[in-house]
Amino acid sequence: MAQTSTDKHLPLTEATFYILLALVTPKHGYAVMQEAEEVSQGTIQLAPGTIYGALSSLEKSKLITMVGTEGRRKIYQVTELGKHVLRDQIHRYQIMLENSVNESDLWAANTTEEGVS
Amino acid sequence: MKKIRKYKWFWAWQDEKEEAWLSEMAKQGLHLESLPFPGIYEFRKGDPGDYIYRLDFQSLQGKDRESYLQLFDDAGWEHIGDMGGWVYFRHLVNGSEIPDIYSDLESKIGKYQRILVALAIFLPIMIFLTHDSEGVTRFGSWFIIVELLQAILYLLWAFAMVRLFLRINTLKKKNNESS
Repeated sequence: MAQTSTDKHLPLTEATFYILLALVTPKHGYAVMQEAEEVSQGTIQLAPGTIYGALSSLEKSKLITMVGTEGRRKIYQVTELGKHVLRDQIHRYQIMLENSVNESDLWAANTTEEGVS
Repeated sequence: MKKIRKYKWFWAWQDEKEEAWLSEMAKQGLHLESLPFPGIYEFRKGDPGDYIYRLDFQSLQGKDRESYLQLFDDAGWEHIGDMGGWVYFRHLVNGSEIPDIYSDLESKIGKYQRILVALAIFLPIMIFLTHDSEGVTRFGSWFIIVELLQAILYLLWAFAMVRLFLRINTLKKKNNESS
């Protein structure tokens, strides 16, 4: 794979992926928590200390930026760089998906292979 | 409303012990109200309750601090007070799910690293305050008691840093095993 500016940010952790995905539209921290939990079908549950740290470090690495406030809340959104990182991560997921087999095929492969009982 | 004052000391590496103690107090109807001084806890007497207490460590100022506290508030964590960089939160326990302020080991490790950095920064400041430019203690060498207390303080300081360092290492190992 060619060296691009997004490589040093990849692969994203599952939590970071959902945080960036949620911030395609502007949101404050708690809204990110709720959205991540909802779209990940409950597999990602972020605690406030964790999300606060994640937002700060994503802002530092310029993947997201503050676009406004709502009371005392900071509103963040992904930057162009953040979108490119998301796109490249999604591309990685697509490759993984292409390499995936159905659950039933997993066990079917076992029986034809030698040395596996 | 009746206020009850308790005197208890926890070292920098005993945050989880302190959290458990505060939860135990809440079960007896003593709810942390304020932290007037290191080692002093003020409780409000009320009905016994099932609360989880969590101590974060942050040195945020101004708008950063406001948005930080707001995020915890949005997520259902009540901010009680601060003491020397420690931020005290509590959350009511509903059902079997135990809430936490960190949902992964990496961010939890970050908390202990911040404590370690704070201790590392204050050590030279403390030495500077107690010694003059020639490295002689400001109190004079005949003041053996002060010397002794200082030595104990430095030892404790070093011990705290070692304990935190070991905690970070344990968490990192756990993190590597799970990922």
